[in-house]
Amino acid sequence: MIKVTGLSKEYRTEEGRSHLVLSNISFTVRRGEKIAVLGRNGAGKSTLIRLLGRVELPTRGTIEQTMSLSWPLGFTGGFQGSLTGNDNIRFIARIYGKPIDELKAFVEDFAELGKFLSEPVKTYSAGMRARFAFALSLAVDFDCYLIDEVIAVGDQRFQRRSHEELFEKRADRSLILASHDPGIIESYCTSALVLHRGRGKVFSDLDLALEIYNDL
Amino acid sequence: MYWHSLKVQKRVIGALLIREIYSRFGRQNLGFAWVIAEPLTFALPVLGVWSLLRAPFERGLPMIPFLWSGYLPLMLFRHIGGRMLMFIRVNAGLLYHRQVTIFDLFVGRALLEILSNLMAVVCSAALFLTIGVLKWPLDLSMFYLGYFYMIWWSVAVGMIIGGLSERTELVEKIWQPISYLYMAVSGFFFLSDWLPPRLRDFALKAMPSIQCYDMIREGLFGRVVHAHYNLLYLSILFSAMTLFGMALLREARKHIEIE
Repeated sequence: MIKVTGLSKEYRTEEGRSHLVLSNISFTVRRGEKIAVLGRNGAGKSTLIRLLGRVELPTRGTIEQTMSLSWPLGFTGGFQGSLTGNDNIRFIARIYGKPIDELKAFVEDFAELGKFLSEPVKTYSAGMRARFAFALSLAVDFDCYLIDEVIAVGDQRFQRRSHEELFEKRADRSLILASHDPGIIESYCTSALVLHRGRGKVFSDLDLALEIYNDL
Repeated sequence: MYWHSLKVQKRVIGALLIREIYSRFGRQNLGFAWVIAEPLTFALPVLGVWSLLRAPFERGLPMIPFLWSGYLPLMLFRHIGGRMLMFIRVNAGLLYHRQVTIFDLFVGRALLEILSNLMAVVCSAALFLTIGVLKWPLDLSMFYLGYFYMIWWSVAVGMIIGGLSERTELVEKIWQPISYLYMAVSGFFFLSDWLPPRLRDFALKAMPSIQCYDMIREGLFGRVVHAHYNLLYLSILFSAMTLFGMALLREARKHIEIE
């Protein structure tokens, strides 16, 4: 379970004024539950993701967590560009205490990058990088996956396989999915958190959530 | 539970250290050997030029060992400080991995600088001992003690610099002038014993690295050097600086912004 209670985040602007990005957000993600985070640009989605990922600290509120939460699926910011794909795999394997061979085998099979895995990540195209990041996130097993927008990476074949890995093989896992795309949300999620100007409300009725989101 | 988290931390720092080594030194040509070679490529030419420009002895102390024992600790200080500028920002993506903390990022970087520096000390000492310009330290434990406090001092300053640089870009701008100024006042070029007594008391307190240098030099040259140091003072001061630095690093999480 991931239980968010009264979460607020305030930033200081250059002029020293404070700006409330998230205000008193509460929601719970149970095991297996798939929740969408809906909101227009600037509604606070990315901030929420960063707070959930514990990269930033909330100004107020708590996040209780009894299941493991992934880093944002497909997030490429954690790679060292001058390191090879294999180096990055080894690094992830080491910090998560997973067997290196196992992770490597999964990424090799899933990302289909071939000999590029022994090349520096900075030489990858955007698509290759996204495929690599996506594969690596799936290779480490989590109870709950955090997804920020990027769900459709790679070509059709890769998308089909991603879908299979994430929604079929890992159907019992939880998801927190931030997206603008009603189609994706309708097909994968069971409830939604709608964010608007920093405030948030959870809807168990997805249609209602989408309707409200469209009216925002 | 405590042991487990300690084990995780050890694993994470180990992984960060390897990552740092590869990303800084790469795999091509010398690779890991750069850890040793890099500080040496700085130190050897500088020492070489100085030894030509200066008299072989200064106040009874041989010039090359004196500069050698001054320059390597100076590099440690400057490298640790320089590497810590904005170090959280550039690695912020790693914080998504929950077991990676800002403290781990710091330790990984600092450890690489320390290891690299110590290897340079060992290698250059071996070289200088062989060609006969350096004599074996007369009081090795004193030499170690001085170097230990020098490392602690550099790490504490690095921590504070790192923490502050995440708050204001000013720190990055003034670090260069500070590190040059430091060269003049750190004790690199002098012993505290050479200073007039009233200035000495002030200098020893205000610039604690002078005490560390005194210890290193007494370890190297023996009792001809009258080292002035107060381990209690250094320990308390450095502990306080370390705690302050750690508080800054904790606080830094509030200031980082990543995409």
